[in-house]
Amino acid sequence: MSEKWNITLKVSRQKQGEAPHFDEYKIEVNPDEYVLDAVERVWAFIDRTVCFRHACHHSTCGACGMRVNDVEKLTCITYIRDVTHDGGTIKVEPLRNFPVVSDLAVDMGSLYRRLESVGARSVLPVPEAEIERSPSSWSADDGQYIRLADCIECGLCISACPAATTSKDYLGPAVLAGAQANGLKRNPELMNLVDSEDGVWRCHSAFECTAVCPSFVDPARRIMDLRTQIFKERVGSLFRKA
Amino acid sequence: MSANIQSVSTPRSGENSWWYLLKIVTGVLLVVLLGIHLVVNHFIGQHGLLTYADIVAYYQNPIIPIMEICFLAVVVLHSLTGLRGILLDLKPSRTILQVIDTFMIIVGVAAVTYGTWLILTIKSRG
Amino acid sequence: MDTQHNRPSPSRFWNWFNPVGRQTSGWAFMLQRVTALGLTFYLFLHLIILGQLAYGPQGYDSFIKLVSSPIFIASELLVVAAAFLHGLNGIRIILTTFGISVTRQKQLFYALMVLALIIITVFGIRMFTV
Repeated sequence: MSEKWNITLKVSRQKQGEAPHFDEYKIEVNPDEYVLDAVERVWAFIDRTVCFRHACHHSTCGACGMRVNDVEKLTCITYIRDVTHDGGTIKVEPLRNFPVVSDLAVDMGSLYRRLESVGARSVLPVPEAEIERSPSSWSADDGQYIRLADCIECGLCISACPAATTSKDYLGPAVLAGAQANGLKRNPELMNLVDSEDGVWRCHSAFECTAVCPSFVDPARRIMDLRTQIFKERVGSLFRKA
Repeated sequence: MSANIQSVSTPRSGENSWWYLLKIVTGVLLVVLLGIHLVVNHFIGQHGLLTYADIVAYYQNPIIPIMEICFLAVVVLHSLTGLRGILLDLKPSRTILQVIDTFMIIVGVAAVTYGTWLILTIKSRG
Repeated sequence: MDTQHNRPSPSRFWNWFNPVGRQTSGWAFMLQRVTALGLTFYLFLHLIILGQLAYGPQGYDSFIKLVSSPIFIASELLVVAAAFLHGLNGIRIILTTFGISVTRQKQLFYALMVLALIIITVFGIRMFTV
């Protein structure tokens, strides 16, 4: 017999031209289901006008990012049990710092354009992927081992970043992480882009991005690494001849 | 394979590695200087540096005015650079940033000048 | 048409001080910003007030009597607290900027805040018992 909870889903609604407001829906769920399942149930059986994004349902596509009870989460892997109790409420809002298209779906275009502008790679040779504790045989220089980059481009980091709240031109943690994976040695043209007020220096070390990243990218660590690379380059160039 | 990187030129000196390095260097200096300042003001002698006479006596040691003037310059620099960083988060336009920069230079120079004058005046009263 | 909702905008700077949904180092960021603004305000106030010294012992010492009351001492302790919280958190930021202790920065934050609290307590005891 699977457990049944009765919960309220409080969904942020905003269609074009309207002010945002919340709608509440009472549904029956199994607490071991995911928040995304609850949103889908509301859409399927109660209100077909609720708009949200979803695709893979296993934390690979990055489509279902939302704010659940004020914290950025990938809803396809967030258990209902972890965010509420029987009789409780789950508040679901769209990601911050992206324009809302409709209800829970936001326009992620700026993220994708910026990732493109730093040449973020989706496939990396393993030695460059900086995986913790990778087997030593994988770091062979011939580059025969490759893997998909950790970043699933979900945008949770940008939603959580306090600096991104006020600066629409800030590249953002995901983009800077992508630039770091390229590295300044490999792509010196990146220097002007990242060593700027909208690059690494907009970051104020809040580390919220790393805290919400569902995919082990650790953007904050990568931003710090980029800063070290920039300092080495800028200060080092003072000592180089010509 | 070179990536399709669009280089964006930075048309103004917003925040960059040199401004940040300035904040870091002044910050580290302040941990020392402000630490000394707080300890001296509260723990030296019977009741710290409280009365006018205490303060004049303190400034007679030749090292002290030099240290305090350095402290003043570093703290004003760190404070104004930091404030500028916070204001930059509000994305001011180029003109407004120039106004902010000018204002800060004036305030900074005025504060350090005034402070130096005050220190030397007090020293001379001993 | 309210399309500005949810977009990044300078008018949302209040979010810097919004504790909702923050993780540990988000609090550190907020603390750093609040203490920065508070200390900057105090710095310039302090410089102006010290001008009283130039008027000689009579003016200054009666001013000192005024600020020896417990309320003033408490607010001074607040300034000392802000200075140590800001400074030690700043050390964490400098270390992480150079890649030191990035993966343990949350623990480093806790450790430094404990150190700050110890120092503030020592100052507090001294300031209230002298």
